[in-house]
Amino acid sequence: MHRYRFILFRPLQFLPVLFGISVITFVLVRLIPGDPARILLGTRATPTAIANIRAQYGLDEPMWVQYLYFLKNLGAGEMGKSTLYKIDVLRLIATRIEPTLALVATGVVLALLIAVPFAAISARRQGTLADHAVRVVSTAGIGFPSFWLGAMLIILFSVKLDWLPVSGYGETLGEKLTHLVLPGLTIALSLSAVLTRSLRAGMVAGLGSDIATAARARGMPEGVVFWRHVVPNALVPTVNLLAVNIGWLIGGTVVVESVFAIPGLGQLMVRGIFSRDYMVVQGVALAFACATVLINFAADIITVALDPRVEM
Amino acid sequence: MTAQLAIEGLSVVFREDDEVRPLLEDISLTLRRGEILGLVGESGSGKSLLCRAVMGLLPSKKLQVTAGAVALDGQALDLSQMQGVRGRRIGMIFQNPTSHLDPVMRIGGQISEGLIHHKGMTAAAAKTEAVALLAQVGFADPARAFGGFSHQFSGGMRQRAMIAVALACDPEILIADEPTTALDVTIQAQILRLLMELRDRRGLSIILITHDLGVVAQTCDRIAVMREGRVVEQGEKRALLAAPQHPYTRALIASHPSVATAGDHLPPDRDHQPVFELKGLEVRFPLGGGLLRKRRALRAVKEVSLRIWPGETVGIVGESGSGKSTLARAMLGLTPITSGQVLFEGSDLAADRTATLRRLRSGAAMVFQDPFNSLNPRMTVGETLAEVLRTQGETPEDRIQPRIGELLDMVGLDRSFASRRPRSLSGGQCQRAGIARALAVNPRVILADECVAALDVTIQAQIVDLFRQLTATSGLTLIFIAHDLAIVRNLCERVVVMHHGEVVEDGPSSRVFARPERAYTAALIAAIPDIDPDRPINGGTPTPNTEELAT
Repeated sequence: MHRYRFILFRPLQFLPVLFGISVITFVLVRLIPGDPARILLGTRATPTAIANIRAQYGLDEPMWVQYLYFLKNLGAGEMGKSTLYKIDVLRLIATRIEPTLALVATGVVLALLIAVPFAAISARRQGTLADHAVRVVSTAGIGFPSFWLGAMLIILFSVKLDWLPVSGYGETLGEKLTHLVLPGLTIALSLSAVLTRSLRAGMVAGLGSDIATAARARGMPEGVVFWRHVVPNALVPTVNLLAVNIGWLIGGTVVVESVFAIPGLGQLMVRGIFSRDYMVVQGVALAFACATVLINFAADIITVALDPRVEM
Repeated sequence: MTAQLAIEGLSVVFREDDEVRPLLEDISLTLRRGEILGLVGESGSGKSLLCRAVMGLLPSKKLQVTAGAVALDGQALDLSQMQGVRGRRIGMIFQNPTSHLDPVMRIGGQISEGLIHHKGMTAAAAKTEAVALLAQVGFADPARAFGGFSHQFSGGMRQRAMIAVALACDPEILIADEPTTALDVTIQAQILRLLMELRDRRGLSIILITHDLGVVAQTCDRIAVMREGRVVEQGEKRALLAAPQHPYTRALIASHPSVATAGDHLPPDRDHQPVFELKGLEVRFPLGGGLLRKRRALRAVKEVSLRIWPGETVGIVGESGSGKSTLARAMLGLTPITSGQVLFEGSDLAADRTATLRRLRSGAAMVFQDPFNSLNPRMTVGETLAEVLRTQGETPEDRIQPRIGELLDMVGLDRSFASRRPRSLSGGQCQRAGIARALAVNPRVILADECVAALDVTIQAQIVDLFRQLTATSGLTLIFIAHDLAIVRNLCERVVVMHHGEVVEDGPSSRVFARPERAYTAALIAAIPDIDPDRPINGGTPTPNTEELAT
């Protein structure tokens, strides 16, 4: 079990990574032109009112002092008060994180449900019409931007067919699930395109590999050769590809959440940027960074579980 | 004796669009019950393809059986419906167990799956059977091996595991495709002995594919020689080796390193300073380790002291992992030295690195194992040589073309080869080009690292001849690294034996091969398969460190 020992030690390495990310986001957010106090109070605010707000939120201090405040608050479980929502950013994130996580999870599950069978068909019937069809569809999937794809799905399934809600998130589990289908599908269609290509390449290589030849030589039927020997070997590189893509997706939910009006972190981020809500922007950026780090950590654990040769 | 497997007039062609190329032509062979049939030939002769065809495992749809029949126990086989026969009645093992065993499935799972599929056993019954089988093929702890993964075992143990997988369903016939080519000579001897033992115990019939006539002479009952898709000669082993009929068989036998004899050399010049002098050379590689884990080091070369004199031909031999390649790389400054000294013509590599490296680059050259991949595929042979000559800067521009011609002459390539790219060269021609590149700097020393290991025997013999000529005529110092002791005995006047990073024996070849001082050297020599069937392999007593679990 020493191969899994890294699960205990690896989190220690996250600390410097997260520290670095927090410094970078903190500084970058403050490089955005525009004064948050002025935006909050509007164009007709008096200089005194602006100065008051600046003092209240510590915006008149030097940047490094502001960062120290930020760290001190973080230690107390606070990320600073949002200038827009007037509540602590950490609490704000806590209420907004569920829809985003649910959206990404739905997208990834749907993507796998599409990618694995498509890649299998494509790899096992190399050069046939089915193979070419899969390739064309997956190339198209990479090509379409998600805001366009989302809008098209809404037109087809919500407006024309009236099967699924247009947008929003809902309250009960059932409502939430029906609201997640279209945005999840939007994510899945582009994600599955990347996964299908990677899986197909791994499966094609696997079918021609010595491992497959050896399995055939001991009389295994083609289905067993494929599902028991080829697929597990092809999954290993795809897990890492998936992790990279999920990290990218979490940032990408900004677009999908806007199209489908889902009250998640992406939407919060967009609002925060437009209203120069420093606390929200850096808080959400930090949350995205944490998620990416954790997903790569999870991918490492899965890789170790799938491939006995890997040592972390 | 009855024919267990009869191949009658089998032909296989490669077909693509209008192109039809015959790959196997009218092959007729019989395998008798309980015999070992050696199928010998060089790469491309079709011996592996023949066995794939018999198994119904042709690697591409473009390959088709056009004529012929195969009968197992008198019953004709349908070569397109072989799934029930494979594994069940004919088992197969391959050259490279590392790539043929599934790395993500436990060894036991790969044995059990055949038993469950073909014999309908339960998982528990299959496990009992598999563990028994692992014990039979020589695993000291078969229960542990059952739950192990292939990367946890050494090459020899992996080959044993593959044999266990192939024999799981108790097939009557085993096809072994170059099963020992990738293994060290002592491990090879063990695997060959295991195959013979299994034949005796199980009444197995074996087709043994190999390029090494020594292996065949030691293990087989009958031999079939293949060349260019045809069986040119077949017969009982002793008769065939004693009186080969076909000229190709005769050439094959004459090329075997245990037949040829060492040539004359200029006596080494021990009055001047040595070309290379190693003093307590130590090379360590950091192993694993991370931010929070302790670093360990692998001592690849331990305290090696050696002097190599001008004009000497020195063979460095040892099994894989013995540190011989690392030693060579350290001598040329390609690998950092941990401690100790390397002196090249008196100049210290560690103390005065820049100057020594400059001397090394003009005075020493290396020839690599893989002749094809060590040449730039985008450059013609002429361009490759010209690049070296220009970089070296000692040949005036107008002398470069004539010099390229001379170099090609020296390595026995026609001058027209200057305009060809590696892709259009055979393995032997590539290696000649590689040697020409090494000679281009007009070196005083050549280090050849396993430079014939990837070549066919007849080509090997040619390259060895070329080296012999070069050393005899030009006073070149040659350091020849090889795991093949027979070739070293042939070519080198002095041999250095390495084991676990240490030099265990160093002396004149004639003395070391006749009267080895160390048990390890003796075991290594005894394991060389001799082409004379009456000089059986004696070696292969497991040495404790080479056959254990790798972890």
